[in-house]
Amino acid sequence: MPLQYGLHEMSIAAAVLDAVRAETRLHGGARATRAGLRIGELSGVEPESLRFCLESLVAGDDLEPLAFDIETRPWTRRCLDCGAEFRVVEYNTACSGCGSAHTEAAGGDEMELSYLELEEPGCASRSNEKS
Amino acid sequence: MRVPLERKVLNENDRIAAGLRERFQRGGVFCLNLISSPGSGKTALLERTLEGFDASRRMAVLTGDIQTDNDARRLARFGFPVRQITTGGACHLDARMVERALEGWRVEELEILFLENVGNLVCPTSYDLGEEARAVLLSVTEGEDKPLKYPATFHHADLMVLNKIDLLPYVPFQAALACENARRVQPEIEILEVSCTSGQGLDGWRAWLEARL
Ligand SMILES: Nc1nc2c(ncn2[C@@H]2O[C@H](COP(=O)(O)OP(=O)(O)OP(=O)(O)O)[C@@H](O)[C@H]2O)c(=O)[nH]1
Ligand SMILES: [Mg+2]
Ligand SMILES: [Zn+2]
Repeated sequence: MPLQYGLHEMSIAAAVLDAVRAETRLHGGARATRAGLRIGELSGVEPESLRFCLESLVAGDDLEPLAFDIETRPWTRRCLDCGAEFRVVEYNTACSGCGSAHTEAAGGDEMELSYLELEEPGCASRSNEKS
Repeated sequence: MRVPLERKVLNENDRIAAGLRERFQRGGVFCLNLISSPGSGKTALLERTLEGFDASRRMAVLTGDIQTDNDARRLARFGFPVRQITTGGACHLDARMVERALEGWRVEELEILFLENVGNLVCPTSYDLGEEARAVLLSVTEGEDKPLKYPATFHHADLMVLNKIDLLPYVPFQAALACENARRVQPEIEILEVSCTSGQGLDGWRAWLEARL
């Protein structure tokens, strides 16, 4: 079932938590304590609004306590003449290196789970590594 | 222990969208995702489009709204298959809703599948629906600055349709400035100026569509 929320960031936040659950399952059901997110300037997602929605959804959920680390990624383009990747400032899409107008979209629409901080496994599994 | 990942938040939506895109490509179906604020004229544009097509053409529409099937009823009059997707609160269509709504249709036989998204200039942007092209409608009563206020939406569009140009004599709207703003966020964007009321510019829109088939 798609989650039915009016606020856009709420449905994105629900998708983030689904992604966290799927990844922790892939890691043997380890508990996640912190999730890193990469949100691009052009993703259409407002980071502070997303944080608010994530914290509201996590409160009282089995994922609690889970902290979020949201990294904002800049809008970038790549120059087709000199190859440089540059940040678009003030909507200026010309290459900041050589001035060429011949550029293509590069980054800025990221919406990714970039890392999970997982709790260390218990003593039992750690004893194998002892010297 | 920190585990580095590169997992797209909407990877489930993207997976379904990729499946849809492959189906459309295999069948040679041109799928167009129409996005705009509420009331910019998505349904009006589709009405004028379907009205102009011969009944032998293979066109279909999925139209998304939070509530009501008004748009589907407006569009069904032209004899082409139309289905309403009522999202019941969600502010956008997602790939799963499209996949479900297509059940029972022989999609591969279509020439064009139009997806009218929920009226909203923000939320639909993040959701790939498997479309081949994305069009954003902007009407002249909304202000020239909308591409700069909603850069993500315009950045991801292939085409901007500037609608309601019949109203230009009555509103202080500089079409050239709106186009310039759209090009600032998306230098490759194509732009068409139309009026669904007077019909001005609709030949150009039809030609744009036919060129994609
Ligand atoms: N003057 C003028 N009015 C228009 C034009 N196109 C649409 N309208 C009017 O604008 C209003 C909204 O049009 P719709 O086609 O319902 O807009 P929509 O984008 O489908 O709206 P939602 O589906 O609710 O988001 C209607 O009253 C239309 O008659 C146009 O070119 N000129
Ligand atoms: Mg409509
Ligand atoms: Zn350069």
